[in-house]
Amino acid sequence: MIAYTVPLFLRGRVITDHLVPFDTRVGAAQFQAPDMSKYVEQLPLKSPAEMSDLYELSFDEILDVLEALGNALDFDSNAHLQEAYEASLVANVLPPEMMQNSYRILRPLFSRDNVTEIADSQVGLNYLNGWVPRTLRDGRELRVRAFGSRVLHIPAGNGGLVSAVTILRSVITRSDVIIKAPSNDPLTAIAIARTLADVAPNHPITKHLAVGYWKGGDLAVEENLYQPHHIEKIVAWGGLASVKHVTRYIQPGLELIALDPKRSATIIGREAFDDDDTMREVARRAATDIGVANQEGCANARVIYVLSGTDAEGLANANRLGELIYRELTSLPAVVSTPPRYPNRELLDHLESSRMNDDFYRVIGGEQREGAIVVSQLDEPVDYSPMLSGRVANIVPVDSIDKVTAAVNAYTQTIGIYPESLKRRLRDTLALFGAQRLTSLGYACNVAIAAPQDAIEPIRRMCKWVVDEECEASVVIPLWKLAPA
Amino acid sequence: MTVTQRTAQSLTEFMDDPINFFGQSYTQMHSIDRDELESLQRQAMAIRFQQHYQSIEMLRKLTDRLGVTELDEFNDVVPLFFSHTAFKSYPAALVDKKRFDLMTKWLDKLTSYDLSDVDTAGCTGIDDWIDRLDEQTPLEVITSSGTTGTISILPKDKRGARDGMTLWKICLFQTFGKEPTEAELNPVVDVVWPNFANGKLGHLRIANMIKRGFTGGDESKFHPLYPGAVDTDLMFLASKMRAAASRGELDRLEIDPVLTARKDEFIAMQARQAQDMEAFFTRLTDQLRGKRVFMTSAFHQMYDIARAGLDRGVRNVFAPDSAILTGGGMKGVVLPDDFMDVITDFLGVDRIQVGYGFSESSTFHWGCSEGRYHVAPWVIPFVLDPETSEPLPRTGVQTGRAAVYDILLRAHWGGVISGDEVTIDWDLQCPCGQSSVAFEPGIMRYSEKQGVEDDRITCAATHEVHNEAVNFMKGIEL
Repeated sequence: MIAYTVPLFLRGRVITDHLVPFDTRVGAAQFQAPDMSKYVEQLPLKSPAEMSDLYELSFDEILDVLEALGNALDFDSNAHLQEAYEASLVANVLPPEMMQNSYRILRPLFSRDNVTEIADSQVGLNYLNGWVPRTLRDGRELRVRAFGSRVLHIPAGNGGLVSAVTILRSVITRSDVIIKAPSNDPLTAIAIARTLADVAPNHPITKHLAVGYWKGGDLAVEENLYQPHHIEKIVAWGGLASVKHVTRYIQPGLELIALDPKRSATIIGREAFDDDDTMREVARRAATDIGVANQEGCANARVIYVLSGTDAEGLANANRLGELIYRELTSLPAVVSTPPRYPNRELLDHLESSRMNDDFYRVIGGEQREGAIVVSQLDEPVDYSPMLSGRVANIVPVDSIDKVTAAVNAYTQTIGIYPESLKRRLRDTLALFGAQRLTSLGYACNVAIAAPQDAIEPIRRMCKWVVDEECEASVVIPLWKLAPA
Repeated sequence: MTVTQRTAQSLTEFMDDPINFFGQSYTQMHSIDRDELESLQRQAMAIRFQQHYQSIEMLRKLTDRLGVTELDEFNDVVPLFFSHTAFKSYPAALVDKKRFDLMTKWLDKLTSYDLSDVDTAGCTGIDDWIDRLDEQTPLEVITSSGTTGTISILPKDKRGARDGMTLWKICLFQTFGKEPTEAELNPVVDVVWPNFANGKLGHLRIANMIKRGFTGGDESKFHPLYPGAVDTDLMFLASKMRAAASRGELDRLEIDPVLTARKDEFIAMQARQAQDMEAFFTRLTDQLRGKRVFMTSAFHQMYDIARAGLDRGVRNVFAPDSAILTGGGMKGVVLPDDFMDVITDFLGVDRIQVGYGFSESSTFHWGCSEGRYHVAPWVIPFVLDPETSEPLPRTGVQTGRAAVYDILLRAHWGGVISGDEVTIDWDLQCPCGQSSVAFEPGIMRYSEKQGVEDDRITCAATHEVHNEAVNFMKGIEL
C-alpha cells in the first residue's frame, strides 16, 4: 500500500513524475518518490556563479522572507504541513499529539529576532553581510567575509525541527542547499520548501533550495552528486552507519560536517536528597529529560548517575528516587511524552531478566510497556544501556564522581546536572573527557539553536571564510626586498 | 507391547528417559500418534513445571509474580518462557571484578541444582570458574559469545550432554522407517572436526562427548582442525572489545592481567593456524581417505573446507556411508549458489544431513527427506507473535517466533524463546512418513531479516572472533 508521495522540490518546481516505491521504517506501508536517478543531473547548480543573486539580497530582505515563511507555517491553515503531519504518522514512531506539537514550534523559529540572534551569535552579521576589515601587526589590511557554500544536508528525522533548522541555517549563510529528506520525516522539509515557494515565488532563496528523497546508499545518485564540482560540504546527522557511509565520498574539496550519533548522560548530586521537596523537584526534572519525545533523541537522559553512595542508605535513596522519577515520568503530559508506540522488544526482554535479578537491579514499572526505571544495586550501568529507549532509564548509584567521568567519552553529547554548583565543579573535567553540552537538569531536550552544537559550530563551518588582503609595499615589507641572510 | 500400552504405564520413562521409552529408535520417536503424544507432553510439562518451580528460583519468582499455579494446556506455559536475555542477566562487571562467588549465586537461581557449596576462592577467570563447576557439580555449563560486552552462560548438565550424544547417534545413523541395527546403535567412526578441539562454547563442548561417543573410545580417531581450545575469557574480551568499539571507548578497555600474561601463548596459537590447516588436509587425504567418518560444522565452514580441499585437488574424500551434519544461519555469509555441490563434490558422501536447534534449548531437530525439521517428541514447539510473544493458533500454517518447551531439560527451565522466524504447518502429515510436527525449511533469525546487528557470534564466526581478540592484544602495549 502506498501511504503517501514525497515529491521532488527542485528550486521552486514540484515534481511528482517517474514515481518509484520505497519501504517505510515502520510497519508494512510504502511511499513513493520520483526516481532520483532521472533527476540527479538537475539537482546541483550548473555553475557556482549562479549563487551571485544571493549576494544581491540585503539581510533585511532575508529576514523579511523568513518571517513571511514563519507566518505561513501555521499548522492549522497550512495544507503542506498538514500533509507532512499525516505522512509522519505512518513514517515516524512518535504519537500524533507529539508530531503535531513539533509543527507548532516552527513558526517562532523564523521570527526576525530569533533569526537575527542565531545569525549574529553563530556567525556574526557583519561577516555575513560584508567584508570585515582588520589591520594586522605587519601592516596589511585584512578583510574577511563569510560566504555561503553549496551544501548537501542529510538531516535526522526525529521531529520536524531538524529540517526547519537546516533550512534556516542555509538561508542565513546564503548557501545553495540540497536536502535529502529523511525516510522517517519525509515531508517536513518539502512542506517548508513549498510554503517558501508560496510566499516567495521565484525568489533567489527559493531557487537555491532543492529537497528530495533517495535511498541512502543509492550509488546511482550519490556517486553522481557527491562530487566536489557539485557540492562543497555535506552536513550529515544521524546514525553511525549512515555517517560512516558518507565518509567514503569525502575528498579534497568536499568536506564533511558530522553531527554524528551521540548519547547523553545525567549526573545528580547528593543535594538531591536534602529534603522531600527537593527530591520531588529533581525527580520531575530527571523524568522530563528521560521522557521528552519518548526518548528518541540523542539529548535524552538514559543512564543517570546518582552520587547517593552505594551503602544501604545510598541504595535506599537511589531506589526512592527511582520510584519518584517513575511516577513523574508516567504523569508527563501527552504532548511531551507518552508510552512508546513501538517499544524495543529486545530491551523489554532485558528488562524482564533484570527484574528477576533483584540482587543486582530494581525494576520499577515497565509491565505495560509504559516505560520503566531500572535502579542498579551496584555502581555499574546495565550491560544493555546502549539500547535504552522508549522511556526506559537506568539509575546508577555511585560513591565518587570518578566512576562517572570514566563513562563520558567522545560520543557523549549532553549531560544534565543537578545542582548548578556540581555542574560548575565538573565542567572543566567533563569537557576533557568529551562532553559537549552541560545543562541544568530538566533542560536536556530544551535545545537552543543559537549555540554551538555537538562541540562544533556548524553554521560557521557551513561558510567559506574568504580573505581579501591589501598590502602596501611601503608598509608591509615585500619578500622581493628581503636582503639575503 | 505397543506404544500406547507403554504410554499408560510409563509417563515417568517418557519424561526422564525418552530414549529408552522409544526403544532407541528414531522411527518410533517420529511415529507416535499425535494426540497420544500431546497428552503425554501435557502431563510431563505439568510435572516438570512443579519440579522446577521448587528448584529454580528465577522461575519461581516469575511464576509467583504472574500468579500462575499450574500448567494444564500448552499455551499456559507461554508467559513463563525465558528469553535469551535471562542467561546473560548477570552484571558483566562481576567477571571483571572476579566475583565468581556472586556469579555462582546468580547461576544458582537459573539452575535446578544446588550450587551453594561451590568453592570459587581464587578463581582466575570464566574458564577456571566453569572448570570448577564441572568438578564440583552435575553441571556442564556452555557459553555463547556475543557482541554487547557480555556472554550467555547456560547451565546445562552432564546427564543432558550424555543423552544428547546418544540422540545424535540415533538421528545420524538410523533411517526413518527401519528399526536400528546393532551397528547403527554403536557406530565406530573417525570424527572429522573442522574446528577448535575444545572450549566452553556450546558447539565446542560437544567435541569431548563426540570424541568418546563416536569413536568406540579410541580418541586417536578424533581429528580436529586446530588442536587447541578456544579460551572463554578471550571470547569475553572479544565481546567487550566490540561493545567498546561501538561506544568509542576502546581506550577505556582494561585487559585482565591473567589474559595479558598469556599473550604470547595466544599469538603462537594464532601463528600455527596455517600449519594446522595443512596438517589437517594431509590427515584427511593420507589417513582418512575412503574411510567412514562423522563430520559436522556450519554451512560456511563446511564450504570453506570443501573449497580448500578441491583447490588442493582432493575430492570424494570419504566413504559414501559417512555421516555428515550441517546447519546454521547464513548471516553475514555470502556463499555461491552452488555451495552444496562444492561440499558434496569434496566429501563424496551419499547424503548430507541438516538439523535445527538453538542453544537455549538442548535438542536438535533433524531434517527429513522433504527438507522439514521434525520436532523431537519431548519438545513442545510454539509459534509466537514476534512482537507480543502471544502464542499463535496451533492449527493451519503459522509463521512467527520459534519457542519450545523442552521436557528433557532438567538442569534449567525448559521454556525458551528463540530469535528465529519459523513456519509450522500444524495440519500437515509430512510425505516423508514421520508423524511429528515439523518446522518448515527457510528458518531465519529476526535480526538477519531486519538487517540489524545481532548480538550473537555464530559457531561459524568463532575463529574470526578469536583472531580479532588476539590481534587486539598484539596491537596494544601490555
